[in-house]
Amino acid sequence: MPDKSAELVLGNGRIYTMNRKQPWASHLAVKGGRIVAVGDAASVAPFTGGSTRSVDLKGAMLMPGVVDVHAHLMMGGQAELFELRYASTSSFETIIEKVREKAASTKPGSWIIGGQWGSDLHAKLNSLEALAKLDAAAQGRPVMLRDDSYHNRWVNSEAMRLAGISKDTPDPDQGSIGRDPTTGAPTGLMIESASGLVESVIANSGYYTEEMDRAAMAQSISTLNSYGVTAFLDAAAMQPILAALKGLDDRGELTAWSVSAMPAVEPSFMFGIAGDELIALKEQYRSAHAKPDFVKVFLDGVPGARTAAFHEPYVADPILGCCFRGSTIVTVPDLIRWVGKCEKLGLAVKIHCAGDAAVSQALDAIDVVRSFNGPTRLIHHIAHASYITPGDIPRFAELGVAADLSPFLWYPTSFLEGHKQAMGVERALRFWPNKQLLAAGALLAGGSDWPVMPNPDPWNGIEGLVTRQNPSGEFAGEALWPEEAIDVATALEIFTINSARAIGLGETIGSIEIGKSADFIELDRNVLEIPADEIADIKVMTTWFEGRVVYERT
Amino acid sequence: MSGPDPAGRLVPVTILTGFLGSGKTTLLNRLLKEPSMARAAVIVNEFGEIGLDHLLIEASEEQFQLLDNGCVCCTVRGDLVETLKALHRRTADGELPELNRVVIETTGLADPAPILHTLIAEQDLASRYRIAGVVTTVDAVNGPATLERHAEAAKQVAVADRLIITKADLVDGWKVDALQHRLAALAPAAERCLVADAALETLLDAETLGGEARADRIAAWFDKAIQAVHDHEHACGAHCDHHDHHHHDHSHHHGIQSYSFVIDEPVEWGTFATWLDYIAALKGEDLLRLKGLVCVADDIERPLVLHGVQHVFHPPTRLDSWPSPDRRTRLVFIVRDIARETIERTLAKFAGVRPAQASERHAA
Repeated sequence: MPDKSAELVLGNGRIYTMNRKQPWASHLAVKGGRIVAVGDAASVAPFTGGSTRSVDLKGAMLMPGVVDVHAHLMMGGQAELFELRYASTSSFETIIEKVREKAASTKPGSWIIGGQWGSDLHAKLNSLEALAKLDAAAQGRPVMLRDDSYHNRWVNSEAMRLAGISKDTPDPDQGSIGRDPTTGAPTGLMIESASGLVESVIANSGYYTEEMDRAAMAQSISTLNSYGVTAFLDAAAMQPILAALKGLDDRGELTAWSVSAMPAVEPSFMFGIAGDELIALKEQYRSAHAKPDFVKVFLDGVPGARTAAFHEPYVADPILGCCFRGSTIVTVPDLIRWVGKCEKLGLAVKIHCAGDAAVSQALDAIDVVRSFNGPTRLIHHIAHASYITPGDIPRFAELGVAADLSPFLWYPTSFLEGHKQAMGVERALRFWPNKQLLAAGALLAGGSDWPVMPNPDPWNGIEGLVTRQNPSGEFAGEALWPEEAIDVATALEIFTINSARAIGLGETIGSIEIGKSADFIELDRNVLEIPADEIADIKVMTTWFEGRVVYERT
Repeated sequence: MSGPDPAGRLVPVTILTGFLGSGKTTLLNRLLKEPSMARAAVIVNEFGEIGLDHLLIEASEEQFQLLDNGCVCCTVRGDLVETLKALHRRTADGELPELNRVVIETTGLADPAPILHTLIAEQDLASRYRIAGVVTTVDAVNGPATLERHAEAAKQVAVADRLIITKADLVDGWKVDALQHRLAALAPAAERCLVADAALETLLDAETLGGEARADRIAAWFDKAIQAVHDHEHACGAHCDHHDHHHHDHSHHHGIQSYSFVIDEPVEWGTFATWLDYIAALKGEDLLRLKGLVCVADDIERPLVLHGVQHVFHPPTRLDSWPSPDRRTRLVFIVRDIARETIERTLAKFAGVRPAQASERHAA
């Protein structure tokens, strides 16, 4: 008779399974990294043998590991390990002071890279006075500071010198260089693709080594584990990311399921091969836990920089005029071709759509593809499904498209303040119609968009989904469109089983069910019983990935 | 390349294809002895079957060679576009005789569709050449087995404008009939003939829609094609179980099917063209050929002629008038693994047209 002994049995827990047929259990057993029993003490008894390790949960809440449907791990890890950090609510003066401190510990000639400044500082930074202060603080070192959307940069004069940017440098396609209105001299503000002028100089300088890449990814994954995340989708996976994930998995060091979205076009913030050339390499980067199964298409930019595509115009602006609506950077026919090609290759597409017109176009394109190709098991994503024209809400469910809810901006933030300036208060506040999407049957999947969020803590996002208020206490007393709040149980599904389905791993992870991967987390309190405004305070005590402890709170 | 050429100033280009051993080179050799081929150029893929050497006056390293009947022969070393451009240039310079025809002989395994869309897509060739059609040889001895075994052979038949059956004298008559039946199923709209029965000089004049074709000939082609496709669909409907993939018709055909559609109402060109873009983008690989005579709403007196191969369409050409009282839009598709229902549904959704099925038309 084969040995039925489990390697691990957890008991006396309040196990919230995310399996609607069996929502609660007290015990579970794990064998070969998979769940073999879920239920009560009697359910796991047949699996308990001499070699079984038993853990008494002592009444603690256990739930499936969190699945982050949208993160940028390399940047997150690099930011944590190698970069200057400050809150996106930091004042201009604070940022300058931080740069001054960092310069003191950085050798001359080395880059100072940091972030993220709030979108509401755009106007302030776009001036020669601000540039002079940054130059003084840096004392000759090149500086590049990313904004909270990660789409834009503020750099100093030395950085522009190294990148060859001067008064005579034309604006690149899909981007612009901030300029002094009288002299035309660049202010150091790099909008969208202009960021690439500086980022590519850093990338080509060999600043980031392979060792740094791997260390950054490992750091990011360990950070995710500490918040209870055991699976993620890397939303712009360039070759170094794919290589690092595969490399870590080959070494047995990848402690989360990873799905990668390979950019269709080189993004403005990452450099290297993209599109067909990158996709052609996908199988060499596949391993048990590393799955290059998505392609990323950027359809527009971000509202704060007025690069998102909307149906209605932005607030009138001296440069863009009265009627600027933003524009999409991929045409509908090209998007149709991309989605069609990806479906042939068995790849789902994650489409960045920050403005409501971009959402409409993405849905239009997917509608065309569905009409010709018929049903598919692939789930395409509208990333940042946040500004959505009412008529588009039912289309998510009709077309089987997942709403990627990321980043955690469904409560008042500095981003929202930037949006109010760009779009006017009333429109800016019609942000994240989560409840309407839910009611319309859409698959909602939760993500952090880390490092756009300074950390990937899903409990912050989950609280925000429920309260629509900023969990940090900033913007106290304010709520963003509170009618769109959803209940805790739904919010938990959004960050577990829903995200698992959305990234194509619904049969493997996302709930505590027999046969699924033994990925779960023990919490310091019961999410379903505490006041909603305490959810963000939840601490993960232990994280298991395939039955192994990969994080333990000390 | 261009579509209709009423002035007759463009050099017709025929694509001669056929599976290995199907008699393609034998046919070409016979054609080259015809007086009417004296001013023709023959382009042979250098990986093609050897067979013309004995016709060469002298072997040389030159890419272009003059045959003893005055025909120019060349092998493709670079790409086909460059070869055709060079032919034109050398003709204009007087180095080669004035051409009245070009025949491209493909390799036995070649898929003729990419050659067709190279010719359609290349703007520089449009002012000099026109497509005179795809001629495919099928031999009566090995053809049936070849069609069954090789998807490439089935595709050569499916995209043909004219099918030439060779070696019919070597097999029993009923075998030729069976082959005819199978060819009719794969390419109901193509002309079929036995090589022995055909006047040689007309064999290479296969194009029915472009070139010097007159409006009445275009209309006649559509009438015949719609009927032929309908008859096949009807016959299939009576005898085939579409759910049974082992059934003789569909398993032999490598997923290749023909559909015809008749649309009663005039078509809005803008939305119809959008639909064409969509099907080309998403199903182009499987859209082997599409031919259409389209009644456009903004100019119902002058129909458009459409011709597409995979994801490439000829710029549509406009006829001066309708060749017959029948002013309905007619579309003939040869596809691989595209359901009729997909075409109908998407035509309705994106082009706003509801085709009447050919069978319904006939039932009415």
